[in-house]
Amino acid sequence: MEMQLSTQDLDGGVTRVELDGRMDIAGAAAVDMKMNLIAGSAKKLLIDLEKITFLGSMGLRSIVLPARAVLGRGGKVVLFAPNEMVEGVLKASGIDTLLPIHHDLAAAMAALQ
Amino acid sequence: MTAISYSAATMPAEDKAKPAARLTLKGQLDDMGLLWPWVEALVAEYAIPADKAFDIHLCLEEAISNVIRHGYGGEPSQTLTVDCASPEARHVVFTIEDQAPPFDPLTASLIEDQPASSPADYLRPGGRGILLLRKFAGTLAYERLPGGNRLTIGFVLPG
Repeated sequence: MEMQLSTQDLDGGVTRVELDGRMDIAGAAAVDMKMNLIAGSAKKLLIDLEKITFLGSMGLRSIVLPARAVLGRGGKVVLFAPNEMVEGVLKASGIDTLLPIHHDLAAAMAALQ
Repeated sequence: MTAISYSAATMPAEDKAKPAARLTLKGQLDDMGLLWPWVEALVAEYAIPADKAFDIHLCLEEAISNVIRHGYGGEPSQTLTVDCASPEARHVVFTIEDQAPPFDPLTASLIEDQPASSPADYLRPGGRGILLLRKFAGTLAYERLPGGNRLTIGFVLPG
């Protein structure tokens, strides 16, 4: 299955990016450009990982580099609802120290305000 | 006894083609697309649970992409092989062999002590991919071959 990406504007100026599929090398390549475009304008970014079934180092890169762009402009980024295995990769990489992980949407929204 | 005939829809499971024991990839990242279908077939063959399938896919992706990007420099005329074997019950072992310059992912220096925000972390050999390989592999063994490398990644399956 090809990686899918969709965006949604939420209250408080939050942009929710929902990723769906396998963030392997092909999946990362498929969303890189869109992620960079979104990161170019978003100030409060909620990256929804609930439907991500796989995450490798290239997938991590496709999340972290756009997130850094948002953080670099003084914005905020949170990661939302990764499954246990995806969260294991995020934590093993230390990404959770840069981008907080939330499983509760209200808490994720609060962290972005 | 009456003769039994099977339509295509009722073919017994054992008639399904078994996954190939060996996957051969060219030294180009496009070939990484062949990895998941192969792993998926092995997952079915060995009844591998989802969390272990994730670890296997992760370790193979990191190890193989490292060879293609850094060992071969994306040169498609080079090839590498990945073999899958089950030497004992509920164990699967993957052996990756390449003809790249020597690179031992077990002893390669890591960048894990550097800030996670450094973009270079994701682009260099010994980056986060090797860190993930070391953390998620059940067992990991390296052997230098004449003119190449052999990496063996093992997993113990539950049950």
